[in-house]
Amino acid sequence: MLSSEEWEIVWLSLQVAVFCVVVTLPFALFFGWLLARCQFRGKLFLDGLCHLPLVLPPVVTGYILLLLFGRHGVFGSLLDFMGIQLAFNWKGAVLASAVVAFPLFLRSVRLGIEDIDPRLEQVARTLGASPLRTFFDVTVRLAAPALSVGGLLAFARSLGEFGATITFVSNIAGQTRTIPTAIYSYLNQPGGDDSAMRLVLLSVVISFAAVIGSEWAARRYRRG
Amino acid sequence: MLKICVQRRLTEFMLDVDVTCRYPVTAVYGPSGAGKTSLLNMVAGLLRPKKGEIALDGRTLFATTASIDLPPEQRSIGYVLQDDLLFPHLTVAANLRFGYDQLKPEERQCDFGQIVDLLDIWELLPRYPERLSGGERQRVALGRALLRSPALLLMDEPLASLDQGLKSRIIPYLRHVKRELQIPILYVTHSVAEILELTGQVIVLQRGQVIAHGDFFRIISQPRVMPLVEEHGFENVLKVETVGSQFADGTSWVRFFNQNLLVPHHGLPDGKQLFLGVRANDIALSRSLPDGISISNSLAGKVVEITEVSGSVLVYVDVGSRLAVKITGQSAKQMNLALGDKLYCLIKTHSFRIGPEVE
Repeated sequence: MLSSEEWEIVWLSLQVAVFCVVVTLPFALFFGWLLARCQFRGKLFLDGLCHLPLVLPPVVTGYILLLLFGRHGVFGSLLDFMGIQLAFNWKGAVLASAVVAFPLFLRSVRLGIEDIDPRLEQVARTLGASPLRTFFDVTVRLAAPALSVGGLLAFARSLGEFGATITFVSNIAGQTRTIPTAIYSYLNQPGGDDSAMRLVLLSVVISFAAVIGSEWAARRYRRG
Repeated sequence: MLKICVQRRLTEFMLDVDVTCRYPVTAVYGPSGAGKTSLLNMVAGLLRPKKGEIALDGRTLFATTASIDLPPEQRSIGYVLQDDLLFPHLTVAANLRFGYDQLKPEERQCDFGQIVDLLDIWELLPRYPERLSGGERQRVALGRALLRSPALLLMDEPLASLDQGLKSRIIPYLRHVKRELQIPILYVTHSVAEILELTGQVIVLQRGQVIAHGDFFRIISQPRVMPLVEEHGFENVLKVETVGSQFADGTSWVRFFNQNLLVPHHGLPDGKQLFLGVRANDIALSRSLPDGISISNSLAGKVVEITEVSGSVLVYVDVGSRLAVKITGQSAKQMNLALGDKLYCLIKTHSFRIGPEVE
């Protein structure tokens, strides 16, 4: 059915998308909670900053990442020193899609937490729960449907990520070639239409499975 | 003993309270927006006073002078709110165990089964809160707070969202809690009936200030307290003595001055004194003792005062103690009442509310 090259593309895409969700989750949870529950100076600024990747053209985001995380970038040289390289490999693709997916995940989590009656958290505290236990046993549990939806959005955004990825990590076969960049390449390549079509169909299947899975997880987790 | 001395600016006024509660159950009474909930939140540690001190049985929970501000989880205070606020994602059993499981066995004042028995909620344990009725939810919320083994229980109008029928079914559970567990309770309410059924001790709060504190029957006649009480349906309070038999239909005799009254079952032995409440609205007046009437109680007395209150007329009749009777302006005109008139006050048995024993 699929050639080994195509399998590699699908596998890499899934790997990037899953890591993207995993990496973004703690940040989305923390900043979502911060923006929903806390009042502090500069909140509007932080809010704007978090949402920036949502409104910036992805190519711009990718270029900024290249400036910051490229070998000679501020963070890039630091990471390079520690032996970690992000530009032009799959970890960079995770970073690119994580940055782009973050605002979607964050929005969902924030709305979910804002929906929870804060008095439920207060009651948990009077019942002897520490702030941390209250957060995980009450806030996170009640925000589970929102977390699940946010996770799905991040997964989908990562699977569809093109602009930031191709700018930051390029389109290297076996390294950074995910489904969208691969389809783009196949379409520019004589006789690549069949491969492109197969990847298109597979995208539909994966996306559909993700929607069903997220819905199922939301129901299960809520009723833990 | 609970000592509360707090100040904080609320949206419309300054909350400035300095009281010491020495009794097992103290009611906090006052109109809506008087700062009652804010006061409870401060005691629970959910709202920080600008300055002041809160101490429970000699343990300082909050003190600006000593920079002490224990977080809510370290205060050992159970809190039951008007909305029950059960965790919707947990079963009743898991809700009950939320605080209980965190305690070491030696810290637990009561056993899981004991509380479940006391509140009669065995059957609810496997259910989720969304499948419970209002009264059941409130009992579970109470149980959850009790199982946390609190040194003090705060209750913020726990019955306000329930209808009258449910209220009268929950109050006996609260009495059980008061009697069997002996946890001190600070109870916010704007119902005189609830105060009478649970305690005699009350703090009256208005616009953030304590305007009266002490035995309800002593402070009720104070000029600033009376209008508040009247607003919520005036409640007369009678001090009576229990005598003799209790009947199978759930009624019993009590003695009030030289007359007998037939009242709902009070469950006390002979020769005890207790308080009865009866609303001014629930008393009828008659110039003669009517014949062939279902009302069992009639108290004879003289009219000592007549005042008009927003269209209605409050008639005070001296039947040994002053009894306020609220009648319509029309009836007052028809009866042509005058000071000194001899009247009978007619009261149905079930209009009496059984109050606490005189201590």
